[in-house]
Amino acid sequence: MKHILVIDDAATVRMYHRNILETAGYRVDEAINGIEALEKALVKPYDLYIVDVNMPKLDGYGFLKEFRRQEDLSQTPAIMVTTEAGANDRALGYAAGANLYLTKPIKPHELLSYTRLLLGDLA
Amino acid sequence: MSTATISEGDFLRFKEFFYRKTGMMFDHSKRYFVDKRLIERIEATDTDNFRTYFNMLRFEASGDELQLLVNCMTVNETYFFREEYQFQCLVNSLLDEITKHKTDDSPIRIWSVPSSSGEEPYSIAIYLLEYWSGIDKWDVEIMSSDIDTKIIEQAERGRYSARSVQHLPKKILSKYFYHHNETYQICDDLREAVKFSRVNIMDSSDVRHFRDIDVIFCRNLLIYFDDVSRRQAAEMFFDAMKPNGFVCLGHSESMSRISSLFRVRKFPDAIVYQKP
Amino acid sequence: MAFIKKSATEIDAVDHEHHREVKRDFAGLIAELDSDNPTSRRWAVRDLAHTHEACPELVARLSIESDASVRTAILSALAHLGGEIAISGVVNCLRSEDAALRNEAIEVLKEVPNEVESIIESLLNDADSDVRIFTVNILESLRHSNVEKWLISVIEKDPHINVCATALDLLSEVGSEQAIPAIKELKNRFAEEPYICFSADLTLKRIEEGVQ
Repeated sequence: MKHILVIDDAATVRMYHRNILETAGYRVDEAINGIEALEKALVKPYDLYIVDVNMPKLDGYGFLKEFRRQEDLSQTPAIMVTTEAGANDRALGYAAGANLYLTKPIKPHELLSYTRLLLGDLA
Repeated sequence: MSTATISEGDFLRFKEFFYRKTGMMFDHSKRYFVDKRLIERIEATDTDNFRTYFNMLRFEASGDELQLLVNCMTVNETYFFREEYQFQCLVNSLLDEITKHKTDDSPIRIWSVPSSSGEEPYSIAIYLLEYWSGIDKWDVEIMSSDIDTKIIEQAERGRYSARSVQHLPKKILSKYFYHHNETYQICDDLREAVKFSRVNIMDSSDVRHFRDIDVIFCRNLLIYFDDVSRRQAAEMFFDAMKPNGFVCLGHSESMSRISSLFRVRKFPDAIVYQKP
Repeated sequence: MAFIKKSATEIDAVDHEHHREVKRDFAGLIAELDSDNPTSRRWAVRDLAHTHEACPELVARLSIESDASVRTAILSALAHLGGEIAISGVVNCLRSEDAALRNEAIEVLKEVPNEVESIIESLLNDADSDVRIFTVNILESLRHSNVEKWLISVIEKDPHINVCATALDLLSEVGSEQAIPAIKELKNRFAEEPYICFSADLTLKRIEEGVQ
């Protein structure tokens, strides 16, 4: 079963994503910010990371930059999910190493189809 | 007074709040344990119900109640070789990385805070002697501080109960301790290896003489501090350390709740934090 | 054995104060804010952290400072010094393009409820929805009795879905019966948005369970 790390400081967002992804058969872990996410990813790498932008201690861009520096994690897909829809934010997200940049609020089918796409789970 | 009850919703609210503050996550298997302690605190504070108690917990300026609650939810005992994987990390990885980058032959400086009754700094000294070959080549200065002068005197005396030393291999116990009656007395060589001092880590005049530290062990202390004090303590560590120095926190503590100043580093034995 | 136990204190006092060699008077410290060495800049900030007169210079430095450890020190100094110049210097960071700076500003503002209280309402009415979201983030740890009232007014009035979503997330933790009508109304207003419905249902359930 593929394992996904949801990184967001908002508890209800983590629950919402967890709900959608678990219903579709994925395993989900949570982290509250970029530092906790790195701690978890370094101990046990995940198949996909879903990353918020604004978080305390280490934001989503900072997480992705640090994450992409790690040799064994540099190829894993990551989706940025954020409230910021500006073209510049999008560019920053891709520059930091996101494979995809989605704007909140996100619909369940959207999250699932992109997750399946990045994980190669399209039947 | 009727006994307070904790609803499912209350449990979830508390669980999320506590996770955000401390990084400790309770799943449903811990529900009974958590409820019981919450009810104890609700009764002890005369807050009558969860709602009132939770508001007090969230909004109390001093953060004292949160600290008390963390105390109830954790086991804070100290013994030799506690959380040994970090000492393994020290001798297997950290010290080699530090010595590789050293440009002079000045001593490697290790600071263990809080010293408590001395088990941690003495464990570090034993670990270096037993498991790190670099000890023949490098000078090491082990410093250890606590806010409590009584406990420092106890640490300097170095007398321990059987319980304190129960995780030590027999060979090490007989090599470094004298056993008489009910106590284990640590040998003079080790007592002389650690420099104890009284320090309040929140007081900048107490800590300003701690500089160029290579490794800080600060385990199971910051979790009891409020958000601001935690951050300030981490900043003080940052200033006390050499660039590329390491901080080791307790197993239930994470820098993700403390400060953004440090990098996360993974070594085979442990996750530690590094000053950039 | 290669353990040494000479007094660290005495050696340090002489040896390791080199980055404090400049004059530690006001003018010397202000000049030091422009040093090429980040450690020197950080020490200058820390030594100025209790000096109100330094606020304009600290705010100015913040806008060009590139070192994270110096920035952290400046933000913390300004928030705890307080006063209009200092706090507006920190609040301006909420508009920064730099996510790390924004988030650090949010964090220090949480630490100073008395300084922030008087500006919360104007920030919650800011034209920029991101600033309004960050203001709700500040409320998360703000130890202030008006928090729930502010959150309710956000979900009643704010037109932007993500501002409401952020406030609703916090209400899932702190909301009481007072918030029920506003949450129900929000759910009606954004009936097509699965996340709002999910979060509203969860929050209502928690509040209702707690009341029983």
